[in-house]
Amino acid sequence: MSEPVYRLEVLTKIFDGTLTAVNGVDLTVRPGEKVAVIGPSGAGKTTLFRLLNLTVRQTAGRLWIAGQEIGDLHGARLREMRRKIGTVYQQHNLVPRLRVTHNVLAGRLGTWSLPQALRSLVRPREEDLRAAHRALSQVGIPEKLWARTDELSGGQQQRVAIARVLLQNPEVILADEPVSSVDPTLAHGIVKLLVELCSTFHKTLVMNLHSVDLALAYFPRVIGFRDGQVAFDRSPDEISDDLLTDLYAGRLTSVSAEDSPDAVPETIRSGTPLLRPQ
Amino acid sequence: MRPATLLVPAGILALILWSWHGTRFDLIGLLSADGRAQMLTYVQRLFPPDLSPDLLRKVAYWSLETFAISFMGTLLSVAVALALVFFASRNLVFTGVLFEVDEAGRPIRIARIGLYVVARALLNLLRTVPHIVWALIFVFAVGLGPFPGVLALGLHTGGVLGKLFAEVVEDIETQPLEALQAAGASRLQIFFYGVLPRVLPQFLAYSLYRWEVNIREAIILGYVGAGGLGQQIQIAISLFLENKLLTLILAIYLMVTMVDYSSAYLRRRLL
Amino acid sequence: MPYPKPSEAALPSSDHSRSLFPILFGICFAAAFVGSWQLAQIQPGLLFEAEGRRNMARFITGMFPPDLSLNFLRFLVVPFFETIQISVMGTVLAIAIGFPLSLLGTASLAHAGILNDLEIAGSPGRRLARTLPYVLARTVMSAFRCIPEFVWAFMFVRAVGLGPFPGVLAIGVSYGGMLGKVYSEILENLETQPSEALQATGASRWKILIYGMLPQALPQLVSYTLYRWECAVRASAILGFIGAGGLGQQIELSMRMFNFHEVVTLILILFLLVAAVDFLSARARKAIV
Repeated sequence: MSEPVYRLEVLTKIFDGTLTAVNGVDLTVRPGEKVAVIGPSGAGKTTLFRLLNLTVRQTAGRLWIAGQEIGDLHGARLREMRRKIGTVYQQHNLVPRLRVTHNVLAGRLGTWSLPQALRSLVRPREEDLRAAHRALSQVGIPEKLWARTDELSGGQQQRVAIARVLLQNPEVILADEPVSSVDPTLAHGIVKLLVELCSTFHKTLVMNLHSVDLALAYFPRVIGFRDGQVAFDRSPDEISDDLLTDLYAGRLTSVSAEDSPDAVPETIRSGTPLLRPQ
Repeated sequence: MRPATLLVPAGILALILWSWHGTRFDLIGLLSADGRAQMLTYVQRLFPPDLSPDLLRKVAYWSLETFAISFMGTLLSVAVALALVFFASRNLVFTGVLFEVDEAGRPIRIARIGLYVVARALLNLLRTVPHIVWALIFVFAVGLGPFPGVLALGLHTGGVLGKLFAEVVEDIETQPLEALQAAGASRLQIFFYGVLPRVLPQFLAYSLYRWEVNIREAIILGYVGAGGLGQQIQIAISLFLENKLLTLILAIYLMVTMVDYSSAYLRRRLL
Repeated sequence: MPYPKPSEAALPSSDHSRSLFPILFGICFAAAFVGSWQLAQIQPGLLFEAEGRRNMARFITGMFPPDLSLNFLRFLVVPFFETIQISVMGTVLAIAIGFPLSLLGTASLAHAGILNDLEIAGSPGRRLARTLPYVLARTVMSAFRCIPEFVWAFMFVRAVGLGPFPGVLAIGVSYGGMLGKVYSEILENLETQPSEALQATGASRWKILIYGMLPQALPQLVSYTLYRWECAVRASAILGFIGAGGLGQQIELSMRMFNFHEVVTLILILFLLVAAVDFLSARARKAIV
């Protein structure tokens, strides 16, 4: 039995001494697992993710990644650890003015020295170009290799972000609301793409989702997160409507479903998905 | 009407009246029959412009010299600004997303902040000292001629551009940088992949705009002996050579217009 | 873990447009660089020669300690205020000159766009009558702003004598040209709908201007004018060098007499003044927007 990819012990993050975003979380994620995290906005999901991809340091508690405790890592060792974790953000992952190929190849920066990185910016190596092209094919847009990134649509840019993560070849992929800024008709396609890629390449996947339907449809393990803590941690068939109502309770009143991207979906749980999967 | 709403216009009016008095603004004198006649005579003396081939040849040379001062001065200023900007931008030196987790020890942190402070102070010094004072200093150091003009423009404008550049750098969105960092890139790599592509176009725009300002400044530097058309204007006025003065003014007008157009053209084309 | 395998298929080619522009630009730039290096007589070596270094050392040691005596500071009160006054009057004059010129020089008011199309249509005479003042105004503004204020100051000093007055005139005229041009641009870039609506009620161009365009444009106009005032403060200091009063004149006198410790004090005061003006102006601009 191999080491868990993530092990959290009473992990806590408090901002400026007053705002407790993550409150004593215990969690274990095994290699190859696919985990969805759902919950109302402001619950601390994004902070949890930033702790998991080493963008912020915890205030208290302990964190192990792939068996190694994250204590005081910095410098090259911190970067090495970061390289093992691939992140797909909601939007603005990419550098707009660069060509798609450079944004994709940026996934290799963790393994490149500075001169190598600079050289690639001026004139990428043949083998790197082929790898980037291959990754773009896997996400469905190989022809965009030399396009300028800001000329792509939102959905296409997310695919480029995924291609970059593929090139990075991490052990675990974290996706923080990867489809919240994407046309809803494309959301299924992207979530499915990530899930399938992780299965094919044996990677662990942890995804923050706004849409409960997507979580229940594609993930065997769903974690409800609220007020900085884990509310429940189950498989979809063990999740009742009551459980979901409690999770989002008290958050429905101030927001109308139509006008805010943070609004809770209209049907918390429906027998048929809101959208037809592609 | 609330007293507060009256306060501001009243204050401004008072400021204007005080300034009118203090500068001995003699509108009446200017517009009086006598004043108008004086100005008319002066303007008449300017015409016709002296267009003798000898003078035209010299004016062409001085114009090119002034152009050269503005061109090299602007290039030097860009070099100075680039050298300092990356130490003068907070988000590249000690704070922001690039420094959140990777905290170095206290002494290194203090050294970084110190570096930032020094860079900013240097930029401030460069831009506060008027370019004309710099020109005098350099005339002092290396003698008369266009070279001190180049140095003066380079240093003074370097300070101005450096501050503008730093503001651009400090304003960039952090998310693409965060994404690169999460993939394991080092700070320098993030700089080349994420920061530079974002800021270079704006740097270029500011530099081109500054070139338009510098062609005008290069002329005034001539007054303190830094060569070019400015020096000639001073001579023409002191020797009462009004026709030559008009020729010089026409040359200046052409030069400035040309640089303005070139700068606008390049900004359209390169950005 | 398997890397994405290198692809065997043909790669799309980078379509970096092979236009002529980069090459042309490179050649022009190189030529300008080499030519300018010669013309500007650039000799970096001079900076490091013994004589140069000695002079710089003399200058730097002469600066400290700065002259902060009460006598000197008291003496500087008048020039200090003078610099502020010159900048204020100069800006006021610039508005007085620039605003009317800008109205004439705004294409959408003079001869183009919806305000003028129907009126002009079919009458070349009327078109000329509208276009001529426009062209004249534009030329005048261009002349005013392309001739540096320093040259204007020189001429005005000759015309009205030394002191702050020629400085005011110089700034007024040259900044008038700048304000005029920018005011025109602001007015031309306004949304046309409000003007269209007013026109439909039968209002004349004047009324459309006063009721429609100006209220819309006011924040931008004021904002740019405040920015120009900041520049005017710096300009007044510099014009002082050629006798137009204020702190600049004092700097020139002190430098001429090699009293560098006075020069430092003056520069410090100038710095404080400019910082204060920048601050006030930024505050005011934020309050407007």
